[in-house]
Amino acid sequence: MGVLILALALAAGQPSFTAQGGRVVAIVLPAELLADRDVQRQLGSGLTTTFLVVARQREGGARGAARIEIRFDPWDEVWFVRRIGIDAKEERQRITTRESLEKWWSAPTAIFTGTANRVALNVTLTVLPFSAAEADDARRWIVAGGGSPLVAALIGTTFDAKPIRSWRWQTEVDLR
Amino acid sequence: MSGGRSMTLLLLAVIGATLFFWVVLHQISGLWLDVALRPEVREALQRSMDDQKNLRALDANHRDDYRRRFETTRKLLQRLDVIRLNREEMLRRFEVILVGIFALAAAAAAISLRQRYRRAQALERSRYLDRVSVLQENARRHAHEMKGPLTAARLELERAIEGDQEALASVAEELERLTRLSRQQASFAAIGRPVLRRDSLRAVVEEFCATFAKAWPGVSLRFAGGDAEVCADRDMVRQVLVNLCSNSALAIEGEGSVTFTIARGVLDVSDTGGGIPESLRASVFDPYVTTRRTGEGMGLGLSISRKIMIDHGGDLQLAATSTSGTTFRLIFGEMECS
Repeated sequence: MGVLILALALAAGQPSFTAQGGRVVAIVLPAELLADRDVQRQLGSGLTTTFLVVARQREGGARGAARIEIRFDPWDEVWFVRRIGIDAKEERQRITTRESLEKWWSAPTAIFTGTANRVALNVTLTVLPFSAAEADDARRWIVAGGGSPLVAALIGTTFDAKPIRSWRWQTEVDLR
Repeated sequence: MSGGRSMTLLLLAVIGATLFFWVVLHQISGLWLDVALRPEVREALQRSMDDQKNLRALDANHRDDYRRRFETTRKLLQRLDVIRLNREEMLRRFEVILVGIFALAAAAAAISLRQRYRRAQALERSRYLDRVSVLQENARRHAHEMKGPLTAARLELERAIEGDQEALASVAEELERLTRLSRQQASFAAIGRPVLRRDSLRAVVEEFCATFAKAWPGVSLRFAGGDAEVCADRDMVRQVLVNLCSNSALAIEGEGSVTFTIARGVLDVSDTGGGIPESLRASVFDPYVTTRRTGEGMGLGLSISRKIMIDHGGDLQLAATSTSGTTFRLIFGEMECS
C-alpha cells in the first residue's frame, strides 16, 4: 500500500500522519508537545493529563478520535499511561523514564477510519488538565467541608476540565 | 411624572444598584478562594511531600506510614489544583448567581415601591376628593340654611315697608334662625377638651333622665340598669346624650322610648325609632350628614358627639340599627382622671 503523507505543516514540533491497514489514519505526536511549558507543568501535578485528538474530514464531516492519558506518580516517580485509538484498542503501561515516555508518546495512534482513497482532515489536539474522577473527588471534598446546597450546586456544575492547551492541524492522507 | 419616565428611572436605578453590587462583590468574592490557592500553600504541601519521600530512604521501617502521609498530602494538593484550574469559572458563576439574586430582589423592591407610591398617590387623591366633597356639601348646606331666613326676611321687610308692622316680628324671627345657625357652627368649631373626673355612669344617666324627662314630647327616657366607674366630663357626656336623644326623637313617630343600658363599662342608648337608612350608615358620623330637611339641623350632632367620646379616650359607635330601632354605644377609654 502506498503511503503518502501530506501534512501541511512539516516543521519541527508538528505531528505526522500515516496511513495504516484498513484505511486507518494514525497520528504521530512530536516529543516537543510534551515539553510545552503548560503541558510539562500539568504533567508534574500528579493529576491525569488527557490528550484528546479529534479528526474531522473536511468533506463529508466524518469524525474520528483518540485519547491519551498520562498520570505521573510522584512517590515512585513513574508515569501511568493509557492510549485508546479509533480502533478501540486500549493500551496501558507503567513507564519509569522520561525517554521511555517520549518513545511511547511518539508511537502512532489511530485517529480516523476513512472510506475514500484519500482524506483531507482537520485535526485538533486538546489538553485537559484532570479527569472526571479527579474533578468529582475535589467537588465531594469541598461539599463535605460544610458547603451549603447553593455551593454544592455551584461546584457540581463548575468543575469542568477546560483545555489548558490546544493545537490544530490540517492534513491530507492517501489511504491506498 | 409620566409612567414611562418613572419606569425608565426605576429600571436605571435597579441597573445602577446591581452594577454597584457586582463591583463590590467582584472585589471581595475571590478573597476566600485566593487564600487557599496562595503559592505558599502549594509550596508548603510540595515540601511536605518531598520530606515524606526523603524520610522513606532514611527510615525504611515506617515506609508505609510515610507513603500514607504522602498520599494524603498529594490528594490535597491535587484537589487544590483542580480548584485553581476552575477558579475563574467558579467565581464567575458565584457572581452571576449572587448578582442575579440581587437584581431580582432589587427589581421586586423597586416594583413594590412604585406600586406603594402609586397607591399612596391614589389614596391622597381620594382623600382630597373626599375633603372637597365635604366642603362642597358644607357650602351647599350653608347656602340653603341662610337662603331660607334671608329670603323670608327680605319679603317680610318689603311688607313692613308697605306698612305691615307685624312683618317686623317675622323679620326678627328669621334673624333668630340665622343666629341659631351661627351658634351651631361655632359650637362645632369650638368643641372643648373634656375635664375628666371619676364618676358613676349610673349617676350621670339617672340625672340626665330626670332632667330631660319631658324634653322630647312622646319620648320616654328609661334606665335599664347597670353601673360603671368612668373618667368623664359630665357636661360633655350630657351633650352627647342630648344629641342622641334629639336624633331619636326625630326618628320616633308618635310614641316611643330611649333606653339606657350600662354593661361592661359601656353605655348603650337604644331607641324605638325607624332606624338609619342603609345609605347613611357608613357616613353617619361625618359632619353635615343628616336625614333632616334643610332648616332643621346641620347634621353636626353625631360628629360632635363622636369627637367628644374620642377625646374621652373612647369612641361612639353605631352598634345596631333596623326599622325597629337604633342603638348607639358610648365607649369610655382608660384615661386618667384630672
